[in-house]
Amino acid sequence: MNKAKDPFVRVVKRDKMHPLLMVAFYCIAILAALLVGAVLLISLGVNPLVLYKDMFTIGMIGSRFAYKSIEGLLTVFTPLLITSLALSLAFKMRFWNIGGEGQFIMGALAAATVALRLGGRMPSLPLLLLMFLAAMLCAGVYGGVVALLNVRFRTNETLMTLMLNYVALYLLHFVGETQAPWNFYLSSESVRPVFQKLPKAAFMPTIPIGKFSLNISFLFAVAICVGIYFYIKKTKQGYEISVVGDSVSTARYAGMRVNRIIVRTMFLSAALVGLAGGFYVSGAQALSTSITNNVGWTGVIVAWLSKLNTFAIFGVSLLISIMQYGCQVASTQFPIIDSNFADLLQGVILFFVLAADFFIRFKLVFRKSAKQQKGEEA
Amino acid sequence: MAAEYAIELRNINKSFGSVAANKNINLTVKQGEILALLGENGSGKTTLMNMLSGIYKPDSGQIFVDGKEVVINSPEDSKKLGIGMVHQHFKLVEIFSAADNIWLGAEPGDGGKKAGLSRVLLKKERYDEIARTAEQFGFHIDPKKPVQAMSVSEKQTLEIIKVLYYGAKIVILDEPTAVLTVQEIEKLFDILRKMKAQGRSIIIISHKLNEVLEISDRVAILRKGEYIGTVETAETDQEALTELMMGKKADLNIRRTKIEKKNPLLEIRDLTVKNDEGAIAIDHVNFYVRGGEMLGVAGIAGCGQKELCEAIAGLRKIESGMMNHNGESIVGLSPQKIIEMGISMSFIPEDRLGMGLAPSLSITDNMILKKYKNNRLSPLVDRKTARRDAQEVIDELEVVTPSAEIPVRRLSGGNVQKVLLGREIKSEPNVLITAYPVRGLDINSSYTIYRILDDLKQKGVGILFVGEDLDVLLALCDKIMVLCHGKVMGVVHASKTTKEQLGLMMTGVLDLSEANGKTAGIAKDSNIKEVQP
Repeated sequence: MNKAKDPFVRVVKRDKMHPLLMVAFYCIAILAALLVGAVLLISLGVNPLVLYKDMFTIGMIGSRFAYKSIEGLLTVFTPLLITSLALSLAFKMRFWNIGGEGQFIMGALAAATVALRLGGRMPSLPLLLLMFLAAMLCAGVYGGVVALLNVRFRTNETLMTLMLNYVALYLLHFVGETQAPWNFYLSSESVRPVFQKLPKAAFMPTIPIGKFSLNISFLFAVAICVGIYFYIKKTKQGYEISVVGDSVSTARYAGMRVNRIIVRTMFLSAALVGLAGGFYVSGAQALSTSITNNVGWTGVIVAWLSKLNTFAIFGVSLLISIMQYGCQVASTQFPIIDSNFADLLQGVILFFVLAADFFIRFKLVFRKSAKQQKGEEA
Repeated sequence: MAAEYAIELRNINKSFGSVAANKNINLTVKQGEILALLGENGSGKTTLMNMLSGIYKPDSGQIFVDGKEVVINSPEDSKKLGIGMVHQHFKLVEIFSAADNIWLGAEPGDGGKKAGLSRVLLKKERYDEIARTAEQFGFHIDPKKPVQAMSVSEKQTLEIIKVLYYGAKIVILDEPTAVLTVQEIEKLFDILRKMKAQGRSIIIISHKLNEVLEISDRVAILRKGEYIGTVETAETDQEALTELMMGKKADLNIRRTKIEKKNPLLEIRDLTVKNDEGAIAIDHVNFYVRGGEMLGVAGIAGCGQKELCEAIAGLRKIESGMMNHNGESIVGLSPQKIIEMGISMSFIPEDRLGMGLAPSLSITDNMILKKYKNNRLSPLVDRKTARRDAQEVIDELEVVTPSAEIPVRRLSGGNVQKVLLGREIKSEPNVLITAYPVRGLDINSSYTIYRILDDLKQKGVGILFVGEDLDVLLALCDKIMVLCHGKVMGVVHASKTTKEQLGLMMTGVLDLSEANGKTAGIAKDSNIKEVQP
């Protein structure tokens, strides 16, 4: 009477997978995403092989100015790396800091303010130090306040950090578009509102290696990467972050001052994002309203794709930077392609990697056909 | 023309990843019998039953209901076959009334009980109808009462009515007695016998031998996912069942060492504590624990045990009263300070991981949870000592784990508890507060833990043992304090009381707190100087 059939497909949990196989799965996911991208490109009349070649070599092949490509890549890579690392710190604590955009802007704005006000009056090194200190403090407070409100009044940190992004963004628009005697951010020579260039002393120093000049902020970013790994793995504060992120009640039980840890970590996270903003404005030599290049958002994706693993963050943000910058370069060859394609491809990759995640943990078992079953029984 | 067996399972296999939860299980349930399913933790009892209730699907094997082979793909399929399961963790919507909880799962197929408009509209008649059904089976329940206002035993009753209302001919109960008092268990067993008399088949999952012997007709035993056999209850006894269940003979005596009286170590006087909702959870409670003494705390789940433990550990603000440790007040001290004074608290909540362990961290990292700050000079965590401690706990308590670097949540329940208790013992406390340390543990692990606690007592540690199993409290503790709705119903000597007396005190029927003309829980040689009015 009960003639219910087996469902067509079932989801079954897998055993632990070999790490190499896992890497293979992710590679397949990325390839699949590129394949989807290729279909789109073909429909636009673009040869995907040529475009992908340009994109992933960031236009270095056959260029006399290959070093320029690396310099360009690093300007995209450095802020993304620092921001992703900083966000991962808060995420590790299960504190949803999605206010990277706002904190980045506040950092940049603070650094620019110091540079423009004190620029002529002091030598380069103290000026830079002061700029970055201001960037960290300003952004740190901007994020720290959210944590403070969270622990005091149980406000929702996701909403707060999200909304503060817009506050910061429109503050930047405000100083960038309001021509007034007090507004020292704008250039006095231009009729239209244009951000003033920073004084020379506020430029990020570079180390020349042949024709190539290495922006020092990149070295700092690598140092921060190692530092954060050490901080999380080895220090007591890092240990506290892990415990609070895992179980707040356990942390309280162990006598940890949870509120203080949350505020401290969020301050640190936001301050590092702000530092990235400070580095960026000092390297770009001027403010701009699109200064963030969406690092606050992309950083969230990088942190999660890397499962908050510090060194994976390095790899993933490098990959995404190559895509973004490579797309910019490639678009010079193909007028129909612009940087939006990089965003699109990034989305597709994210989607496929999440799918790969699923298949790493589970496998599908299909219903056996009647024939097969009989064969087994016999 | 009913078949002999209501349920027959043949060669059932089920694995999760590489773990085989059920291996070639064969099991039969006769029409109108009570079958007890007995096994230690992780022996696959619940997994097997979940395949009957449609939550899991067997990897291979056959299921016969009333002699016909069936495939159960979902809980709906199972319901249609007349199988109803009362889960260990109730599946009820807390804010709904009793009637609505039943109505929620009723389908037009249930003998037309919910037909036509009532499929979309809630009608008043449903209350009457459900009250009628309840009465028909001899239950008393208010169909309008919201679940959140019900006691544990009421919730369980509701779950049983629910399955009966859906027309279950085969009823499965997963550890139904774990949360009940002695009196409530008796009531439940009466109901089960009545259901049996009506011709229903019942499967009851348990690891409590005395209950199994009392209620069942036959006992089926699982061990480590394998089917060991089925025995007639009338032809077996505790020793034989234990041996079948564990695969070896076991000493089922709990050791209680008597040592000479020492000074009161922890004294609680007139303590009042509120719970999370702001209601009084602990109401003017007095008690004390001497060094080398084990004080048991008995009470129905949720009558203030958690709040009491949290208050002593400094995790919960107290409303009024005194808490003294060695004559020194600990009221208002930070949890950190209280840990440093040598007071250790471990509370095993229902989910076993909620408090005391960080589930995603390794055993090593969990070892240093309370002492990672000890070396104030270094900003770094000392993992070397932690690794050694972890290895010692693993060796001494026989924790089953591939390594000390495995996240705690990947361990089985019993091993998780050993890690927690092991760490607390390693911290060499002078007062150990432990709530439900054997919650859900199998016999072997439980007895290991009883021995460890008794060893600690011999070293002069004062122990407050919050437990659920009255037999254990009676055998292990020196004295037992009974709580009912946050009030002390009395402190009795374990050797001078009975289970029945404790049961009456737990439900508030018997109040011995002012017996013999003195207030229970105040030591003669108290460190607290009485201010006479």
